[in-house]
Amino acid sequence: MSTSLQQVTGQEYKYGFTTDIESDSVPPGLDEDVIRFISAKKGEPDWLLEFRLKAYRHWLTLTEPEWANVHYEKPDVRKIVFYSAPKPKAAKHQSLDEVDPELLRTFEKLGVPINEQKALAGVAVDVVFDSVSVTTTYKTRLAEEGIIFCSFSEAVREHPELVRKYLGSVVPTSDNYYAALNSAVFTDGSFCFIPKGVTCPMDLSTYFRINNKESGQFERTLIVAEEGASVSYLEGCTAPQFDVNQLHAAVVELVALDDASIKYSTVQNWYAGDKDGVGGIFNFVTKRGLCKGRNAKISWTQVETGSAITWKYPSCVLLGENSVGEFYSVALTNHKQQADTGTKMIHLGRNTRSTIISKGISAGDSSNSYRGLVKVHPKAEGARNFSQCDSMLIGSRCSANTFPYIEVQNVSAKVEHEATTSKIGEEQLFYFQQRGIPPEDAISMIINGFCKDVFRELPMEFAVEATRLLGLKLEGSVG
Amino acid sequence: MVALEAAPLAAGVLSRLRPSGWEALRARAEAALDGQELPTTRQEDWKYTDLAPLRDLEFAPGAAQDADIAHAILPEARGSRLVFVNGHYAPHASNVTNLPAGVRFLNLACATEMAKDLGTLSGSDFFADLNLARFQDGALVVVPKGVRVEAPLHVVFVNRQEGAAPTFALPRLLVVVERGASAILVEEHQGTGTYLASAVAEVIVREDAQLTHERVQRESDQAFHFSHLAARVERGAAYACRTISFGGRISRSTPHVVMAAEGAELTLDGLALLGGSQLSDTHSFVDHTVPHCTTRQSHKVIADEASRAVFNGRVFVRPGAQGTDAQQQCRGLLLSPKARIDTKPELEIFADDVKCAHGAAIGQLDPEGLFYLQSRGMDPALARNVLTYAFAADLLARIPVTSLRRQLRQTVLARTQSGTLEALS
Repeated sequence: MSTSLQQVTGQEYKYGFTTDIESDSVPPGLDEDVIRFISAKKGEPDWLLEFRLKAYRHWLTLTEPEWANVHYEKPDVRKIVFYSAPKPKAAKHQSLDEVDPELLRTFEKLGVPINEQKALAGVAVDVVFDSVSVTTTYKTRLAEEGIIFCSFSEAVREHPELVRKYLGSVVPTSDNYYAALNSAVFTDGSFCFIPKGVTCPMDLSTYFRINNKESGQFERTLIVAEEGASVSYLEGCTAPQFDVNQLHAAVVELVALDDASIKYSTVQNWYAGDKDGVGGIFNFVTKRGLCKGRNAKISWTQVETGSAITWKYPSCVLLGENSVGEFYSVALTNHKQQADTGTKMIHLGRNTRSTIISKGISAGDSSNSYRGLVKVHPKAEGARNFSQCDSMLIGSRCSANTFPYIEVQNVSAKVEHEATTSKIGEEQLFYFQQRGIPPEDAISMIINGFCKDVFRELPMEFAVEATRLLGLKLEGSVG
Repeated sequence: MVALEAAPLAAGVLSRLRPSGWEALRARAEAALDGQELPTTRQEDWKYTDLAPLRDLEFAPGAAQDADIAHAILPEARGSRLVFVNGHYAPHASNVTNLPAGVRFLNLACATEMAKDLGTLSGSDFFADLNLARFQDGALVVVPKGVRVEAPLHVVFVNRQEGAAPTFALPRLLVVVERGASAILVEEHQGTGTYLASAVAEVIVREDAQLTHERVQRESDQAFHFSHLAARVERGAAYACRTISFGGRISRSTPHVVMAAEGAELTLDGLALLGGSQLSDTHSFVDHTVPHCTTRQSHKVIADEASRAVFNGRVFVRPGAQGTDAQQQCRGLLLSPKARIDTKPELEIFADDVKCAHGAAIGQLDPEGLFYLQSRGMDPALARNVLTYAFAADLLARIPVTSLRRQLRQTVLARTQSGTLEALS
């Protein structure tokens, strides 16, 4: 491996600062009392406490899944702090001036456009800091359209009927180990409701950050798009550097009714641990969208560059006739990172269509797996799927794996899957160099070309960020 | 904890007397089977193959007897044929009068000394262990250094249910093609009644040798057929293996091929033609352990009526196996609303300078092709049949034994031409 490649991938984590903010947390460990405490702390109604307890009791019967192609020491639930909130001020802030300036500086360092002046891009941001929503910008503007975009806790207080109707309707409490855990202990997250016929005038965005060393982050996102509504939602994540593994087990539920469309984009850059694999986030996330109505559309776009372990399968349940599911993913692993990620497309309704484009890049000693399921039920007349999974290996110590499950039970279905593997060749680099382009730029260009199909699905600002992020992540690795 | 009931199948087979020879290996297999249950769908490897119909059956060992194999005779292999009935050697049906000098082609029980490679290959499962623990006999093929065998070597495994109780058979095959030698081997499984056949084939293709291995599975429609193939391809050797499956209520084929030295080449083809409520499962594993080996894999399934097809193709490129070139294709044709195809092409790659690709496509006949044939005056039913036959035909075209190719074409034709007569009249 040439030095230039090594330099590119040798790059360290740039967002690893901690912010000293007084936080309010429970002692580590989990039992029903902790759940009652969280629920009481948040002033939740009884039905939600019941929901949590039901999830917790089911969770006790489950064991941690081991089928994924990742190896790690299982997080010890007894050591996790299940509730950590920045110390609350008397009232929710009306303007950004009231927010703890230390916190704002954190986000400034992160480059989050939380500042209203900075939000020229027209992004309404809900910032979630150690699972508690700090502030939501642009609320009034959105309210004019009848759009509800607020923290999950607020939604529980202000719109309990909506939350109750949809919470757990896509990812039931019994879904899997981490989803059940999340259902029991989630502390906050975002809630978004787009009423009938409304096109959300701006991109909505949430920024997640884990700040407390022992805390896990368990946020919950619920997005509902009513008939004919449409919304584009962005999610970004970072965490400071700690030498212990932190658990992030989120649940995201999307519901799209007739003719509705939801586009969900993620740039995930949780701390990935250092070069030797010490520390980093365990990112065990359940994301699922339900195309409930006719012609509904759900599109997932993800750029996964962080986390020590990633275990994440954003899925679409295509129930409504003619509904469409899409999954565009770039997953980059470096050093000792391990990612097992992909998607599930469950075709239940007639003429449902899905597209999967997955690009995996592995460098260093990392392991990168695509795991996907395309399932066509007997009643999904005319279902159609196209999947493409490409992997790129940088260096000879990493691995790239593909595990696509295809289950077809309908005679009129058409399912296609393709996968390839390639590397950045010496010859390609040489060609660039003899044109006067230094190896680092060449690598970045090759990678961007490789990921183009996914990047062009990202909203503009995110695409720029993602491109830069990949460049940063690979600095010092190619050769 | 609830005490688990011992799998009646394993217990039934193991209660038989241990045949002589290969004691250490048999003991190893028994140890592996100890406490083992019949695999269930909770196991990843058996996710799509439910052995429930097998669970409550009790199998008695099939007896040695003669068989009428007139219909199976290949003219090209008149003097190079071994026949086994229920896993026992059938000398009267066999004919090995026409073998090139030095070629060993005989039953294993007579050749314990020569079969020192038996049981040395990697990869095993529940059914392969059952076989190793209690197999009675099998075929041994040794093609010595530099010998080119022109006539195909033909091994026929016949399985027959005797009386009311279902029977089991444990046929076995060991093939060693020595340095620079070449041969064509036809391995056939067929039978009548309800029975379980758990077959194992071991194949070693040494340096610069070539082996074409045609495997034909036409067990009875009530049969349970499990066939494990363990192969090792050495430096510069070429191994071409093609498995054509027609029969069996539940059938499963598990080729496990190790690319053991540089320059080895593998062609692994499969075709399954299914109807009724048949289930056919192929779990292949190609292990690239060294640099510069090539794999071409093509698997096709045609699923009609309420049949189910499963394909799990795993290609593994180990660290350091640079220059690997592996390509895998899986295509499934669904012909009926009740049929089902589950497939999982897996790639696991631990080296960066490789060319690996896989593709999987499941669908139905191309409507444009159908339209074209109809525009030429062809009846829709006939057009469908022609295209279905064509889907399978390209794999058959490569079979080097003329009579076998013709035979298989006829079987495929007969299977894919339902309704043709009605369409023509």
